[in-house]
Amino acid sequence: MTLLIARKELTEMVRDGRFRVSGAIVFTLLAGALLLGWQNYREVNAQHTAAQQASRAQWLNQGKKNPHSAAHYGVYAFKPKMPLSLVDHGTDSYTGVAVWLEAHKQNEFKYRPAQDATAVQRFGELTGATVLQLLVPLLIVLLSFNAFSGERELGTLRQLLSLGVSQSQLATGKALGVAASLGLLLVPAALIGSLAITAASGQGDIMASLPRVGWMALSYLLYFGAFVGVSLAVSAWAPSSRAALIILLGFWMVNGLIAPRAASDLAKVLKPSPSAFDFDQQMQLALAKGSDGHEAGARAKMLETELLKKYKVDKAEALPVNMLGVRLQDSENHGNEIFDQSYAALWDTFSQQNRVHQLVALVAPGLAIRSLSMGFAGTDFPQHTHFATAAEEYRRTIQRTMNDELTYQAPNTGAPYMANNDLWQKVSPFQYRAPSATWVAGQQAPSLGIVGVWFAGSALMAAWAARRVQVY
Amino acid sequence: MLFRLMKHEWRNLNADRTPLAIALLLGLAIVYGAANGSLWVGFQQRTINSALSEERERLKGVRAVIPKIESGELKTSPFTDPRLPQALGRGPGVRYAVMPPAALGALAVGQSDLYPYYFKVTTGSKQTFLNSDEIENPVHLLAGRFDLSFVILYLFPLVILAFSYNLVSAEKEGGTLALALSQPVTLRTLVLAKVLLRAGFVIALAVLLSVAGVAVGGANLAADGAGVRLLYWIAVTTAYGAFWFALAVAVNALGRSSATNAMSLAGLWLLFVVVIPSVLNVGVKAAYPVPSRVDLIQATRVAGDAATRRGAQLLALYIEDHPEMAPAQKGGAPDFGTIQIAVSEATERAVQPVLDRFDAQVAGQQIIVDRFRYLSPAIVAQSAFNDLAGTSAHRYRHFLVQADNYHRQWRAYFIPRILQKVKLSAADLDQLPTFTYREEDLGSVASRLQLSFFGLLFPVFLVAFPAWRWLRQYPIAG
Repeated sequence: MTLLIARKELTEMVRDGRFRVSGAIVFTLLAGALLLGWQNYREVNAQHTAAQQASRAQWLNQGKKNPHSAAHYGVYAFKPKMPLSLVDHGTDSYTGVAVWLEAHKQNEFKYRPAQDATAVQRFGELTGATVLQLLVPLLIVLLSFNAFSGERELGTLRQLLSLGVSQSQLATGKALGVAASLGLLLVPAALIGSLAITAASGQGDIMASLPRVGWMALSYLLYFGAFVGVSLAVSAWAPSSRAALIILLGFWMVNGLIAPRAASDLAKVLKPSPSAFDFDQQMQLALAKGSDGHEAGARAKMLETELLKKYKVDKAEALPVNMLGVRLQDSENHGNEIFDQSYAALWDTFSQQNRVHQLVALVAPGLAIRSLSMGFAGTDFPQHTHFATAAEEYRRTIQRTMNDELTYQAPNTGAPYMANNDLWQKVSPFQYRAPSATWVAGQQAPSLGIVGVWFAGSALMAAWAARRVQVY
Repeated sequence: MLFRLMKHEWRNLNADRTPLAIALLLGLAIVYGAANGSLWVGFQQRTINSALSEERERLKGVRAVIPKIESGELKTSPFTDPRLPQALGRGPGVRYAVMPPAALGALAVGQSDLYPYYFKVTTGSKQTFLNSDEIENPVHLLAGRFDLSFVILYLFPLVILAFSYNLVSAEKEGGTLALALSQPVTLRTLVLAKVLLRAGFVIALAVLLSVAGVAVGGANLAADGAGVRLLYWIAVTTAYGAFWFALAVAVNALGRSSATNAMSLAGLWLLFVVVIPSVLNVGVKAAYPVPSRVDLIQATRVAGDAATRRGAQLLALYIEDHPEMAPAQKGGAPDFGTIQIAVSEATERAVQPVLDRFDAQVAGQQIIVDRFRYLSPAIVAQSAFNDLAGTSAHRYRHFLVQADNYHRQWRAYFIPRILQKVKLSAADLDQLPTFTYREEDLGSVASRLQLSFFGLLFPVFLVAFPAWRWLRQYPIAG
């Protein structure tokens, strides 16, 4: 019986001109967005890979140099694009693409792609995620707002129930009908998306992409399910189709457009982030308490005394190590402590802000799906910091290698010391491993929970409302 | 007659509580949006103030320390001695180039959360200081702000549509349309009365509350040009609202049911506010793709390496080009600061074509957007709001040009002194070039705003004209 209802719903929808037109529009936008995303991915990824190799070549071919000059020269780390970013650009347009790894300083990522776009960008980008998060739910609302109220207004609800169809059967059938008609456009779109992701991942990474694809698909299915449930519940509960439509459009609006902005404002008020100026100023102040390692000051004297004691010699010239190397590494250590503190505090503020978003997501699940989608696409902020941390780790490795060379290889006479290609080779190329899908799922557990609860809750709500549906 | 009809409509609206509730929601959103915009302006202002006070304190410190170094009381290295122009112009002496928020900045956050509003100008290359991006959670940048511009662009049309989606269809469905038209009144007059009343109410509410909101939020309405900008805000908001009313009338004039009208209007809203802008965004990026800035980084690096290798040689060439800057006394190896000037000059020259390519692509995008924005009144209104709030890319570029000039001035002061190995004194600190932001010429802003305004007015007539004709064929019964 349930299947019969579902089949009738599907046939009716497919024959409805409005569904065909809106379905075709949504499908075209979705397929187009995915293909554009793929093209964009290919271009950007090729640029970043080439640049990363070029940066490595520059590092290796810098010729004879003092190790500390090489440390100042440094390398660039370019943020790789994840294959799934073709579905959801997430925050990629609003985070910098590259960071300079140089001596003394943990730099900020530079060049946010959105700065090279026009203000139209701020209306939102046309990506698979935009279509899936904004347009598909709207389509669901349009397909199901009159599921119950429409039958009642036509007088067919009475007939149906008199045939012995139970309300829950009716509700399940209607839900399946909507799901089937959505499937007609989502399944082909998912195929296109999967092909694009496969092509983008290349042979090596497809195994890493697959679990992310699975998680992302699951998240969206739960979310769409929740929307179907809410729509059916409202349709059964509302006094008229018109009221149901207005309520559902209001929910869609608040969920998709108002809540994200309101949540951002709320988060900013509750957990304010510092201005870049204050952040920098505070860091400079803390750094100034140490020494930059270049000059001989009080800190240098202390280090020297310690070393004299350690090596049991009585003057600096007799030390088996180069004092400049020791001083530089000491200042690096001091700096690293401060960078760790400052960035940890900043990123903690951001993650507290994101927690505020999660709280708002309890009433507006659109925020949860946005977070899930970005997360599994690899374009959310936690994964940006994951990369930033790896890059900083690499910077510290370079610094340590250069300073160790100075400390243990350079003569302690103050004579100029030159290192060559052998030393540059000692620093292995920068390899970044993106976190696994499981790591992301762990990060996203609250959002996943919220979408799950909405899915289950909306199903219960729909069943409850269906049982109490007004027949007349 | 018109007036009598409007009075009747007003009573009708008053009897129903829904419009009042909707109006109340719009009012709340406007007040909230204005408060939000004012908060952001306040944040920028505070940041600028702390930057300027840091500059003041720093220069005061330098002034105090120079005599001590001169007297030999304090020892320094060539990297930190503030008397040496190469040290002063890079570190302790630098000044900020600041673009304060405009008088009506609270109306629209626009692009101001994406572009820097102050630079620490040094003798180094432009790229070293052009990146003072504000810290912001990227998720917030992605979502955008709940400012007045958002309320007017997104919510205001919805309120208008909620007021007027069943302008005629409800009367017809209630059976009162035929009754009303049996009186000596035409359908057109009736519709005009309904629209005028609603438009007057909603638009006045939006305009008055937003002006009051920013005024309370601390906007300086007495500032130069603020009045003109405010007038444009009112004009653009009115024209934008008129467009949506015209659209509602046109859809009503087709004679469908209230439910169909609601769905069609919701679809049109989605089309103009969400779909067209995002498709246009994709389109301009495809037409003028901006290469990843990664290319710029690499180009700068390559040019820098090449220049560094030829450092001494470049310096010789540089002195040949600028003999007046030759060091006062000959002999001795050129010092680090001197070579650095020649190197950074050569690097910048080599990178300029790459930078120009970026600018050309972004400018190309802007041209397409400027041309095709008329496809959606929302885009036209957005660009107008950003323009009059001073948060557009136009104003940012205007600031960039001034900062660039200032950078040149700064270098023109320091470079000859570095080359001639001049030692500066405390008195010289007063001679350092200073930066004052000159606001965009009101004429050029106004001409852009005028274009936007007419770009909004045109679609109003484009929609209203056929609607007016269709109304004559409206199926009053059946």
